[in-house]
Amino acid sequence: MPTYAYILVSLALFFVGTAGVFLRRNALIVLMSVELQLAAGTLALLAFSRALGDQKGHVFAFFVMALAAAEAAVGLAIVVSVFRTHRTTSLDQVNVLKG
Amino acid sequence: MNLTAHTTSVAETIVFAVLSAGVLLGGLLTITRRNPVSAVMSLVLTFAALAGLFATLSAHFLAVLQVLVYAGAIMVLFVFVVMMVNRQEPTPIARQGLVTRAAGVLAAGYVFYRAAWLVGHERTMPLLATSAKPPVKDFGTVSSVGALLFSDFLFPFEAISLLLLVAVIGGVMLTRHVREGSSSRVS
Repeated sequence: MPTYAYILVSLALFFVGTAGVFLRRNALIVLMSVELQLAAGTLALLAFSRALGDQKGHVFAFFVMALAAAEAAVGLAIVVSVFRTHRTTSLDQVNVLKG
Repeated sequence: MNLTAHTTSVAETIVFAVLSAGVLLGGLLTITRRNPVSAVMSLVLTFAALAGLFATLSAHFLAVLQVLVYAGAIMVLFVFVVMMVNRQEPTPIARQGLVTRAAGVLAAGYVFYRAAWLVGHERTMPLLATSAKPPVKDFGTVSSVGALLFSDFLFPFEAISLLLLVAVIGGVMLTRHVREGSSSRVS
């Protein structure tokens, strides 16, 4: 398939992730939406990597994947920690820092 | 840049259509499910289909990593946390501040619509139109990507391993259970 088809899928997936981040209030689902956004970025990197015949895109996709793993670990740790103190994962009720 | 003409076969188109439909359907299910367990399972579907898309881009190494890291490790992590804090939302979308959020989604939708329109408009330019396999012989295999990783990108590779170490320590510190009489005051 031509590269632009992959880029369109990547854009659509990134938009789905963005909508999830905006609309959902469960912190877990918001984290999953961020994972969707990162995956969409990876897809675009790999599509352009093939179009250019350059494997550096694969290396960066690898880094994005490692970054996503680190983000998931720390994000989920924060969710568990917040759940211990507030007994909730709803982002609307976690507003202690609100001025 | 590889600009040789390459006709897309019907089978290729069908595989791409099925995989991208799986990706988008899984993504939509992920952000619409009320039960977090269903959301995680939809996310697994998304990442499995995405691994297939990576394979069609001759990114074999990344396709395998996608299954191992995302569908394996990260999803197990999510499932564990869902089991610990499983609370179904009374309503999937918060009413509080809904207008602001909807405005945000609409603005983002407009940006992505314009980007998609641009990509569709410029689809004949060589970079976006090419569908041929790269001329490099072992493109995207473990050996060639690994060779690049350990030569040109050695420093970023070590830096990312340090980042993972920091994330592991941070995760342990954040979730460590501190007893009442304990001297260390972390949480």
